[in-house]
Amino acid sequence: MLSFVVRRALLMIPTLWAIATVAFFLMHAAPGGPFQAEKAIPVAVKAQLMHKYGLDQPLRVQYVRFLSNTARLDFGPSYKFPSRQVREIIAEALPVSAELAGWALLLAILIGVPVGIFAAVRQNSLADFASMAGALAGVSIPNFVLGPVLVLGLSLSLYVLPPALWQSPASRVLPVVTLATAYVAYIARLTRAGMLEVLRQDFIRTARAKGLTERAVVYKHALKLGILPVVSFIGPATARIMMGSIVVESIFAVPGLGRYLVNAAFNRDYTLVMGEVLFYAALLMSLNLIVDVAYTFLDPRVELA
Amino acid sequence: MEGGEALSATALLYCESMIRARSLALAAALALPLGACAPASPPIARTASSAARYFGDVTPPTDNVLRFNLGAEPETYDPGLAVGQPDGRVARILFEGLTREDPKTLAPLPGQAYRWDISADRLTYTFHLRPGIAWSDGTPVTARDFRWSWLRVLRPENAARYASMLYPVENAEGYSKGTIADENRVAIAAPDDSTLIVKLAQPTPYFLYLTQFYTCLPVPRPAIERYGNRWTRPENIVCNGAFLLKYWRQNDRFEFVKNPRYWDAANVRLDGLTAYTVEDLNTSVNLYKSGVFDWCPSGYMPSAFIPYLREYADFRHGNYQGVYFYTINVTRKPYDNVWVRRALNAAVDRDAIANDLLKHSREPWGNAAPTGYPGYEHPAGLRYDPDLARADLARAGFPGGRGFPKLAILINTSEDHRRIAEAIQEMWKRVLSIEVEISNQEWGSYLQATTALQYDVARRSWIGDYLDPNTFLGMYMTGDGNNRTGWSHPRYDGMLRAAAREVNPAKRMAILRDAEALLLSEGPEIPIYHYSTNELVKPYVRGIYQTALDIHPLTYVWIDRDWRRHAPESPFADAAPARPASAIARAASAPGAR
Repeated sequence: MLSFVVRRALLMIPTLWAIATVAFFLMHAAPGGPFQAEKAIPVAVKAQLMHKYGLDQPLRVQYVRFLSNTARLDFGPSYKFPSRQVREIIAEALPVSAELAGWALLLAILIGVPVGIFAAVRQNSLADFASMAGALAGVSIPNFVLGPVLVLGLSLSLYVLPPALWQSPASRVLPVVTLATAYVAYIARLTRAGMLEVLRQDFIRTARAKGLTERAVVYKHALKLGILPVVSFIGPATARIMMGSIVVESIFAVPGLGRYLVNAAFNRDYTLVMGEVLFYAALLMSLNLIVDVAYTFLDPRVELA
Repeated sequence: MEGGEALSATALLYCESMIRARSLALAAALALPLGACAPASPPIARTASSAARYFGDVTPPTDNVLRFNLGAEPETYDPGLAVGQPDGRVARILFEGLTREDPKTLAPLPGQAYRWDISADRLTYTFHLRPGIAWSDGTPVTARDFRWSWLRVLRPENAARYASMLYPVENAEGYSKGTIADENRVAIAAPDDSTLIVKLAQPTPYFLYLTQFYTCLPVPRPAIERYGNRWTRPENIVCNGAFLLKYWRQNDRFEFVKNPRYWDAANVRLDGLTAYTVEDLNTSVNLYKSGVFDWCPSGYMPSAFIPYLREYADFRHGNYQGVYFYTINVTRKPYDNVWVRRALNAAVDRDAIANDLLKHSREPWGNAAPTGYPGYEHPAGLRYDPDLARADLARAGFPGGRGFPKLAILINTSEDHRRIAEAIQEMWKRVLSIEVEISNQEWGSYLQATTALQYDVARRSWIGDYLDPNTFLGMYMTGDGNNRTGWSHPRYDGMLRAAAREVNPAKRMAILRDAEALLLSEGPEIPIYHYSTNELVKPYVRGIYQTALDIHPLTYVWIDRDWRRHAPESPFADAAPARPASAIARAASAPGAR
């Protein structure tokens, strides 16, 4: 087990290196650079800025320097926000994104899993069709429709919740609900599919034959395996929800990580892009590792070697 | 409201970075602030009697703090290095220059200097600093601070993008460009703590306006030398303006508190300001409507809302010193031919764009420089004339559009830009019978393409930096970094140089007028519409006025809890009641009066 974790952690290093390399050259290949604006920057000023950040050196020199800095986890200052280090920007936005993602996923699991079980147990009943139709709708409504509709109804008409900003506990409700909706629906469908698969298996028949109550069969025996697809979904979903909730962050003015990633790419803020991309990659790989470890606890057939 | 509004959120997502990326010059290009009757007609009068309806919640805040949307996150609010409008807004809250803007007219008022003398040849300015002015750490603000701050802007290694604001000062340009090594040759002298003498290379009628521009604000030398580029952070910053920075969280908000050491603190009525950095336009309006923001400045509302908002008493609009236009790359064939450019110009129906497409929300505009410069009379603007357009095209050698290569209009990705481009595409096809395509690029690629002259015709816009037509006409000088057309005309350059040397203001304006006429007839640019400001201000907020540069000094703003019983305040300079007899009279008088 320990050797598995250590080996996987070490394997992350070459993967990160590959991602860093591809991202670095892709970004430098994009037209333009960090120091351009609608209002012209005088040639001398631009040259001075390029020199200051070492962008006047050959690309391979920049690449080597970038790798050695990255190895020390130093991404340098943002080009766009020169008073801030990339590390600081990520450290400031991370707790916000983590909180948003945490609440949204918690809500999604608390609603999605029971709905999925309920639908699976009553397969092909009216309740099953209704909940799966609801789930289909939840998956289909995009954030940028749901968010404004919730704001219009709950904030601007009924004045019960703030329309945006990340301040009071009440201000967290709308972004969390908006973000969670699609995940509730997805998790419900995954749970239902997983449970249906497990409920057909021999050991469930055995459990029933032993005379266990249906409740014990479903929650003690079936759920542990039926939830596995949800667990493998949650890992990468956490990373995606933390870094990719750009629409929700924009609509609700949440100071999270997602907006930085998109804006940094538009601004050609090389250091911030690299910091965010590598952070995203590391986060994703770590979460996948956690999922793999979690499998050993849920499924006795899985053994890590 | 128009249909399909909900879907605009995806578009906004991509707009975001552009708003962020915008410089002062770009100011509202993306947000497309529209207004009903921008330049020519006077603002619609708002009468209190017509049972004023308000768009937003009108309950005043319980505390004495003004909350507003700053919009995009500032890149930096270090005054010397600041670039964009949000940068400047924060810098102006924290720092005060030799002069400061009149909140209505933006005319220079005494600031850190309580008076100044100008020599007869208009070349030497002697500023006398107000006695007793201090930094927020208690040390006095001296003339040496100003000299050091200005030289800091000019020092090449600091790479200040707006260093050219100080180029009117003798030898400043040479020092900034590295041709003069000795900073003592830059004609800024501080003979004693309270006197700053500046000698200009040429009479510059707008020089006092420059002294209040954020690039020229004083900065605290000890803090900068100690903390480097982290000196602006709340824990390190030292400032001299009406407010101090208490809290900053990127992509969230700035909190400012009143500066007790500000020289006129007695007349500052707010306890503080909170400036949020909300970029999403719908969100910005939602926060205003629900009462979180007291002020939603221009540029931070979706353009489609404007026809609807016009009915409300808390909506204001007026002239904004900016023009939306297309530029033609004259280094490409056949656009090197002036008759081709004239044909393209005459085939653009500005009225149809402004009135039909944009539903009268903007004013059609056929001039290169916008309206509103005291003493400046425009030459005749360009007009839509399909017959003339066809004749010009025939004269260029393409009768009936035959043989004309396919023309590509370059825009940066945005729904608003696309709609206008499609209208112009249709006009050129219909009037000139030429093939037109639209190519759109994301912001960075678009900037690169326009700068490198890799386009036929491109969308652009320009917002002035100071109240003088030079801020528009100057960019078409040969070799100017903002002249992204390749157009160069020795007579035009000569006229602008002559205007710079001219001491007589009326003669100078006449020269500039002729220069604009030449520019229009040469047609490297196709003006389309005039910008306007569109903002939402709660009726209890007093002291925020509509201004041509969308600059709003916040020093004397106050919250009127009794606003329903008071007469509504006119947001416009011309119809304005006397300003509160606060600091202005005091500022103009001798320091002994304090």
